[in-house]
Amino acid sequence: MKAPAEGTLRGIATFLGTFGIGVATYIAIADSGGGAPVCVAGGHGCQTVAESPYSHLFGVNIAAFGIVGYVLLLACALLRGDGPRMAGFGLALVGFGYSLYLTYLELFKIDAICQWCVASAVLMTLLFAVNATRMLLYVGREP
Amino acid sequence: MRDRRESLVKLASAVAFLAIATVAVLIVVSQSGSSGGDSGHIVSVPEVERELQGIPQHGMVLGHPDAKVALVEFGDLQCTSCKAASEGILPDVIAGPVRSGEAKLDYRAFTIIGAESTPAAAAAIAAGEQGRGWDFVEIFYRNQGEEDSGYVSDGFLTALARHAGVPDIDRWNRERESEAVLREVEAQTAEAKRLGFTGTPSFAVEGPATEGLEPLEPTESATDLESAIANAR
Repeated sequence: MKAPAEGTLRGIATFLGTFGIGVATYIAIADSGGGAPVCVAGGHGCQTVAESPYSHLFGVNIAAFGIVGYVLLLACALLRGDGPRMAGFGLALVGFGYSLYLTYLELFKIDAICQWCVASAVLMTLLFAVNATRMLLYVGREP
Repeated sequence: MRDRRESLVKLASAVAFLAIATVAVLIVVSQSGSSGGDSGHIVSVPEVERELQGIPQHGMVLGHPDAKVALVEFGDLQCTSCKAASEGILPDVIAGPVRSGEAKLDYRAFTIIGAESTPAAAAAIAAGEQGRGWDFVEIFYRNQGEEDSGYVSDGFLTALARHAGVPDIDRWNRERESEAVLREVEAQTAEAKRLGFTGTPSFAVEGPATEGLEPLEPTESATDLESAIANAR
């Protein structure tokens, strides 16, 4: 099987990062108004998750950290070279690891599922796969 | 070229290690949770709503008024063991004998932690006057701050009352500062001492098979409370 071109991987990462910024921004805006994201399929999962103690870190909604993470991942996708390859891999690994933890919390601690959080976790997982592939295939090679 | 790539792959391993360490630190910080007592971020309201949904409340009594057995909890809203009981033991009791109508749960103040315990207890009793006493108590425990750190402010209590669904906040404000409610807090605390309790939470049970209100041994088990209810029938 032919390895994907770096341009293709960067294009996918750009799309995923942009989409992630949208999702995280929606969650952050919904929370800043004192409310919670609206679950598209109905139910109170999003409100339950938003009002759980785990929705904030250092007093800041974790969606705000998500926005910063996605913006940095988008920047890594847009830039060429080994620096962005390595940084994209590291950032995506942090995002992926923390998304796994948040999904565990939803399933076993909060006992509710927020569709927007699941969407973000899926995006972070895909971004990790893309950035890990990019780093493994192209680090140390010409941009 | 190959040497450079090998060096960079080694560097990537270090990056991966750093990333995993970062996630671990974030998880530890998250597990330690917020310090509580944050009026701008009241948590776990839907969880409490689900727990209490459909169960009648009268004053500080949760459950059907005609239930034959009364389980009385003497608690201090600042007490961390009471918070643990509220989150770990009482949900089973509420979902079991209280919801089924076998028993009612009566929350009474036993203010032993510090100065902030009294206004907190008074606020709960005032919420009970409007049928939201148990919502207030349960939401308070889930947002409890550090003992006597100043977190039991008017703003914090008002945020809790709003989230607990107290319909008339002006009335609640008047009543929580009234002499009558403050005397009630003192009377309940005196009753706990009279029963021989020295710590919180303390439980007592009253039913057809008991001679008045009988103190229970300290417990951290819902099964013990459910057995006490069954024995009091």
